[in-house]
Amino acid sequence: MFRTGNRDGEMNAMYTNSLLIQDIVLINPVYTAAMKEATTKFLLMATAVLMFLFHAQAQDKASVSGVVKSKKNGETLIGASVRVAALNVGTTSNEYGFYSLSLPKGKHVLEISAVGVAIKQLEINLTGNLRMDVALEEANANELQGVVVKSSSTMSGRSLSSTQMGVEKLTMKETKNIPVLLGERDVLKTVQLLPGIKSAGEGSSGFYVRGGAADQNLILLDEAPVYNASHLLGFFSTFNSDAIKDINVYKGGMPAQYGGRLSSVLDIKMNDGNNQDYNVGGSLGLISAKLNVEGPIQKDKSSFLVSGRRTYIDMFLKASKDTAINQNTLYFYDLNGKMNFTLGSKDRLYLSGYFGRDKLGVGKTFALNWGNGTGTLRWNHIFSNKLFSNTSLIFSNYDYKISIRSGSNDVDVFSQIRDWNIKEELQWYVSDKHNLRMGVNAIYHTMRPGEITSSESSNFNNSILQRRYSWENAAYVSDVWKVSPKFNLSYGVRATAFSILGKGDFYNIDADGKVTDTVHYNDGQVVKTYFNLEPRAAASYQLNSSTSLKTSYVRNVQNLHLISNSTSASPTDKWVASTNIIKPEISDQVSLGYYKNLGNNVYELTVEAYYKTMQNQVDYRDGADVFNNDAIETQLLFGKGRAYGIEWLLKKKAGQFTGWLSYTLSKTERKINGINNGEWYNARQDRTHDIAIVGMYQLNDKWTFSANWIFYTGDAITFPSGKYKVDDQVVYYYTERNGYRMPNYHRLDLGATLQLAKRKKFSSELTFSLYNAYGRENAYTINFRESKDDPNKTEAVRVALFKFVPSVSYNFKF
Amino acid sequence: MRMKKILHLSLTLLAAGMFASCERVIDINLNNAAPKYVIEGVITNQPNVPAKVLITQTKNFSEDNTFPPVTGATVTVSDNGGAPVTLEAKADGSYQTSAFVGTPGHTYVLNVVINGAAFTATSTMPQQVNMDSLYTSDENLFGDVIKIANVDFKDPVGKGNAYRWVQYINGRKEKTIFVRDDDLTDGKDVQRKLFYFNDDDDDDTRDIKLNDNLRIEQLCIDMNVYKYWYSLDASATGENQQATPANPVTNIKGGALGYFSAHTYQVKEITVAQ
Repeated sequence: MFRTGNRDGEMNAMYTNSLLIQDIVLINPVYTAAMKEATTKFLLMATAVLMFLFHAQAQDKASVSGVVKSKKNGETLIGASVRVAALNVGTTSNEYGFYSLSLPKGKHVLEISAVGVAIKQLEINLTGNLRMDVALEEANANELQGVVVKSSSTMSGRSLSSTQMGVEKLTMKETKNIPVLLGERDVLKTVQLLPGIKSAGEGSSGFYVRGGAADQNLILLDEAPVYNASHLLGFFSTFNSDAIKDINVYKGGMPAQYGGRLSSVLDIKMNDGNNQDYNVGGSLGLISAKLNVEGPIQKDKSSFLVSGRRTYIDMFLKASKDTAINQNTLYFYDLNGKMNFTLGSKDRLYLSGYFGRDKLGVGKTFALNWGNGTGTLRWNHIFSNKLFSNTSLIFSNYDYKISIRSGSNDVDVFSQIRDWNIKEELQWYVSDKHNLRMGVNAIYHTMRPGEITSSESSNFNNSILQRRYSWENAAYVSDVWKVSPKFNLSYGVRATAFSILGKGDFYNIDADGKVTDTVHYNDGQVVKTYFNLEPRAAASYQLNSSTSLKTSYVRNVQNLHLISNSTSASPTDKWVASTNIIKPEISDQVSLGYYKNLGNNVYELTVEAYYKTMQNQVDYRDGADVFNNDAIETQLLFGKGRAYGIEWLLKKKAGQFTGWLSYTLSKTERKINGINNGEWYNARQDRTHDIAIVGMYQLNDKWTFSANWIFYTGDAITFPSGKYKVDDQVVYYYTERNGYRMPNYHRLDLGATLQLAKRKKFSSELTFSLYNAYGRENAYTINFRESKDDPNKTEAVRVALFKFVPSVSYNFKF
Repeated sequence: MRMKKILHLSLTLLAAGMFASCERVIDINLNNAAPKYVIEGVITNQPNVPAKVLITQTKNFSEDNTFPPVTGATVTVSDNGGAPVTLEAKADGSYQTSAFVGTPGHTYVLNVVINGAAFTATSTMPQQVNMDSLYTSDENLFGDVIKIANVDFKDPVGKGNAYRWVQYINGRKEKTIFVRDDDLTDGKDVQRKLFYFNDDDDDDTRDIKLNDNLRIEQLCIDMNVYKYWYSLDASATGENQQATPANPVTNIKGGALGYFSAHTYQVKEITVAQ
């Protein structure tokens, strides 16, 4: 039962006698006017910036542009440096390997370098605009081991002059030798070894960035959002490292092209596929097997890549003679595929996709499967030597399905979130001083929060929660301005409009969470639009050739919220969009950084400090039940958060011994009306100290050894401060939220890689890992119960999961 | 529906099985808190069973598990707007009255005054829904085949019915909290399996075995009381928390722990034969 009624307080007067028909008539003009105003403002600003830039452009210059790629496999190289040392000017290739550099006409020496490849120097004579694609050779081992490596190195470095801060870059090469759990190399676990990025718990691929929650990370795979990036209780991530080219994690100072989550952007790019030669690679590990096939469709022009992974724990279950065991199911798989086509010198098409699924079944009675699917179609077009365009059409899907067949109980539960997403971005290399990026993005979200269906004879009624529709629009522009050789500035703005669309019932609720009013909206009707401007600004100042200072400010807005109060990630955690009650989450972050290269650029020191505030944070009411509730707002509470910290990273990039030392000192708190008497309390992921030491030592051509050691302060957690009896059972009395700490966590992992064969046509290696080498019993959970020895006492019980977990895996490539 | 709980338990059990987790009793330094009153008030429709209120207090974690009753309180209950009846203090420390037997559809108001602190709660006794049958079934839980009690009943049409079951095996009470509302099963013939997870290999007295005496009480509770048991189970039992631990949502106003429940009562008993 519902009736049409009032919406927000300020609109009350307008809608006193609201009827459906009036809603339509009244809302549309309000919406249209607001939209128009925002658009007009945005366009005016953008025009002003453009006029200014045009003015600044010099005339006696020309540009050299092209694509940087690897000679060996034709993969484009992201973030390759293209420099003219004599003039001290340079640029880096973008995410598609494209670069453009404005230079005075005349002779120059271009120096092109990237991680893991040999530096290339090219003499050019610039008389007009020049198109030059560059193919770089792999660095050979001797060069990698050289002590003095000027800018090429085995590990990715950060740039002193770039304004970008709060970013961590990883390539697959440098994560290769890090010890892993159960032989599964996992990029999400590797990034947790970097400062400011914290593991969500023992063995977990989930992570927290700078005090934010796990759902505040935007995880992109070839631009497609991945809504649940974990397999099997979160112990493994959905990213098969064989298919991945590179990863950037933005902890702060996010560029304007990214938006939608408060805390971080994890931008993962898949390999394009080798367009020179056919390759088959794979691995056999303790729990999974992987196979990777790539090659040219047409040499130099197009290529494909298919990569698959499947776990085989379930094979052991199947092998059991016990019918109670062999009817159980437990596995997951991932499939990555990509194709790309070069169409002439100006156009390139990419088609990439991911599909992964977890399957869990208990006998014939209970089955659960869940997974993500994404697809991305991209078109790169080079309009001119200075103007690069990318158009993307993106699809993202996450769903889960539960089936129960037990006696007369026969019921299915289904839930889904699905996005259609279109993006257009222009990168305009205006001059040697300005580099402009602008774009628009529209995402249409469809959420199916829960659909319960069952047969006629079942215990259960069908129950279909309302589908929720929303439209997330954004436009952005940003400019990187090289003010002087020492001073760089980047500034931009992202404007977002998030519209909640009908059809459906929306609710007004009172302070106790009771529905006071239900308002019905028709198909396509706008319930509410949230407009937000997200300014982004950053500056860098180079003190000398090896030292720089940077600062940045960023505002982020998040309109999709993960409703989860569990202590571990669950596939049934629910994404909900903002509604009339659930407001967009907003964060503002300022950061300051100090960067120094030491010892002939072999060492890198990074120190960053940040302060972040968060608005409209979401938490559960006590006793909330969100499983089957259309008015989910009635189960939620809202408040604010703050986080601050300082992060140190010392990295050794070259030599036989490489690695890093990372230390984070931080604090993160929440204040939510209705929790902890409305007082500030520590967020669960508040860990005062977080240390990671990672070392890799290449002994000779055959053996590489590695080790990492991790320490962090135990999570903030709620423990009882008393006990009492209810119905003859001892239960526990809680006085404050997260007032206690889990025990401190620490662990040492060891790894070794043995190169077996290394020939042109075939190479193979064995990887050994020992997880938790000194067998520390880290607390996974701490439970409280009546003592087994003396029921008149209560005791605390620690459950530890992984102790001395050895693993071996065999990798091959031909 | 306790799907989420089942799911969590299954995943946790799987993880434990897969990775050979280890469990150890540890010392934890827990804070002491000022004692808080715990009020358990029950009114049933059983003839000859008096309305009963028990008042205790919280203790520190390190103390023992005996909770002496609080005496000297003034406890009254009113039946459907009638004059409050004062409950008598009994030798066991509880407060009781036989002045009335609970009647479905009636609303009861509890008032408690202890040392000047006043607490009040309201509960409405739902219409009685009876179990039609009680039997056991064999269920496969990750390789263990265990016996589970099943109760069949017909939920009346119209949402808002909630049930609580109490299970006894050979007279021993099972500690698992069994509650269910009719949000998903409104008006249906319901076969409720009373799943519980005995993770203690040493204690098989909790398991249902052949020839055991199995007794199930079915209580029809009001929605506020359902919320109490639901949230107690989810977040205050100290084990396998699916949610951040918190005190359960009580229907008692004034700052006491506990609940006040006017519920119907029905019991069935069988000898486990298969």
